[in-house]
Amino acid sequence: MSARDLLLPLIAVLVLAGLAFSGLSGTLLNLLIFMMIISLAAQGWNILGGFGGLSSFGHAAFFGTGAYTTLILQTSLGVNAWAGLVAGVLLGAAVGAGIGFLSFRSGLKGSYFALITLAFAEVLRIASNSAPITGGAAGILLPLDYGFLNLQFDDRRWFALIAILFVGAALALTRWLERSRFGAYLIAIRENEQAAQALGVDVFRVKLGAITLSAGCTALAGVLYAQNYLFVDAHVAYGPWISIEALFAAIVGGLGTMFGPLVGAVALLGLGEITKMVSGGVPGVDLLVFGAILILTVAFVPGGLMSLRQRLTGRRRPRGETALRSEEGA
Amino acid sequence: MTKMTGQTRRTILKGGVAAAAAATLGAPTVLRAQPAAVKIGLLQPMSGFLAQAGDLASIGAQFAVDEINAAGGIKALGGAQIELLIGDSKSNAEAGAQEVEALNEAGVVAIGGGFASGISLTATQAAARHDLPFLVDSATADSITGRDLANTFRLGPNFSMATEVALQNLIKLNEAAGNPAKTVALVHEDGLFGAGLAQVMQEKLPGLGFEILETISHPTPARDMSNVVLRLRSLQPDLVIPSHYYNEFVLMARTMQQQRVRPMGVYAVFGGAASSYQFVAEYPEAAEGVFDCNHWGDPSNPTDAELKAAVEAQGKHYAYNTPINYSVVKVLAEAIEKAGAADRAAVTEQLRTAEFGSGVMPYGTTKFGEDGQNVNALPLNTQVQDGKINVIFPDQFAQSTPVFPVNG
Repeated sequence: MSARDLLLPLIAVLVLAGLAFSGLSGTLLNLLIFMMIISLAAQGWNILGGFGGLSSFGHAAFFGTGAYTTLILQTSLGVNAWAGLVAGVLLGAAVGAGIGFLSFRSGLKGSYFALITLAFAEVLRIASNSAPITGGAAGILLPLDYGFLNLQFDDRRWFALIAILFVGAALALTRWLERSRFGAYLIAIRENEQAAQALGVDVFRVKLGAITLSAGCTALAGVLYAQNYLFVDAHVAYGPWISIEALFAAIVGGLGTMFGPLVGAVALLGLGEITKMVSGGVPGVDLLVFGAILILTVAFVPGGLMSLRQRLTGRRRPRGETALRSEEGA
Repeated sequence: MTKMTGQTRRTILKGGVAAAAAATLGAPTVLRAQPAAVKIGLLQPMSGFLAQAGDLASIGAQFAVDEINAAGGIKALGGAQIELLIGDSKSNAEAGAQEVEALNEAGVVAIGGGFASGISLTATQAAARHDLPFLVDSATADSITGRDLANTFRLGPNFSMATEVALQNLIKLNEAAGNPAKTVALVHEDGLFGAGLAQVMQEKLPGLGFEILETISHPTPARDMSNVVLRLRSLQPDLVIPSHYYNEFVLMARTMQQQRVRPMGVYAVFGGAASSYQFVAEYPEAAEGVFDCNHWGDPSNPTDAELKAAVEAQGKHYAYNTPINYSVVKVLAEAIEKAGAADRAAVTEQLRTAEFGSGVMPYGTTKFGEDGQNVNALPLNTQVQDGKINVIFPDQFAQSTPVFPVNG
């Protein structure tokens, strides 16, 4: 990977940071932070689901582990938030490796893999709902205490900036994946596992590496969520909502692309917010429109929003269009 | 576009100056007649699975606002009208926090509501960032108050207060009938509310002479209660103590009716449906005889009947959300009145130190303790009798005597 490869992630970070410091109102800043958190979760999902072709329905398992780890360490052991963040990411990645080890050893793929990940997330949700260490059904609440070491800021723009930097790092990670041998192995496995194996790719190890990276990234989203809302319970941490949000953002944005999850998260949450503003006071109408837009996107832009850009540039250049046509026909 | 001549421009300028002069001259009179409205926020789940509760709550809050405005608004502010801004928490915690930000930007002086404990926990913390006073309505988790958040107050009883009252009244009920009930089955949803209640019951009931046969938990939402009810049928408990939200409560009561499981009583604490007129209207047979210990308006207060009529006029069914949110707005308005300013810090200070009325809730006066909890908050015990929800305890609010055992 060359320095030039890092140019686009850097530009994205600068644009987003510029946005955060452009005098956004509190509501919009909140939305931006939430977009970044969902984007990180989706970027994690994209490593495994987009590049590896292993669709997980249970990324909540990693998100929740990240969130709970940092809150438990902070509230019961008094560990500072940054150490909690590192621990959360590591433990989330370890949970990923564990689930990956069990399911890939048994050769689970496709819908079986999706279901087993869902099952793991649900088991964790039910366990954390009754276990004393996670505060049971009451969840864990982190007291409001501003300070850099607590990752809580009176001026929320700083928190937004930190979230944006992490999103930038995840973009760079995805770029590395696109350029590296490891990423090439992963894509080869997605395209044809038997062929990859025949060519000498250690399928098990590559998949295990992918799920570990993916889980760590999504766990980081969980840590940031916990740090932003200062409260986590079993439903928030391990509930199916985050698994769905992560895979929707990645699919709508564009599977297996660097910017897909970020674009997807911004577009989905942004549209939700816009419909809410336009609809006025009618409760729930934003969710309704949101659902409709989702269906339309999946129906008419199956390659995600990132493919829309390619399609549009293709139209402008006739030769590109023919290339795309033949590709579609194939 | 036509070119504007000098004369037209001058005419326009003259007109503008005249208008500006008129506005300047007129402004003081306008201000005196109509001081700036005071904005109060109401955070409720207007969409999502708790939407019904939010809807009923907003009717109560709006009723209070209309009543106060009709009576001349906030007198200390020259009769300023109250404007109610409703924020939709979408039945989830992070949307609740997000809506608090929106209400803050809209310039509210205080926020009321919250409804569910998870939402209230994050929303009060979000409001604390802006030193925005937050008066929680019916969310019961003890941890909501007592977190050193200077802005957070709760009108209704917390969990510990309510379970204590519920257990006292259960013993009273049983003693009055000659102690027929000895065994109990607990059925609870596995969230904060149900699991927390079951835990308290497990700790306290054995010491009060009840034997707990089994504790059955289920998730929310649950689509089927057959297995739970079959288990109850084989256990044959004297009492069933349920704690779940509306749909699950209705499902369980109906399934019990279908399978002819008839314990001596169904004694709910913060029952999701046990004191909801929708349940009583739709499943009168399943609802008959069910006990509840819950937030409930003072039946002797005429406004309570007016609120019920207002809800029914919209074709909806009455539940506790309406009276408690009516009362939340009344207390907030009184605090603004006492503060004499639409100022957040001044309102918080009043809430911390002064005493207030309690709207239609049976609390007498409202006084917030050090931790922000209303020390006088009190749940009422009700029983569904002949299709009506009657208060049975405490005696000063009782509308009728309890019928126990129900299936004698």
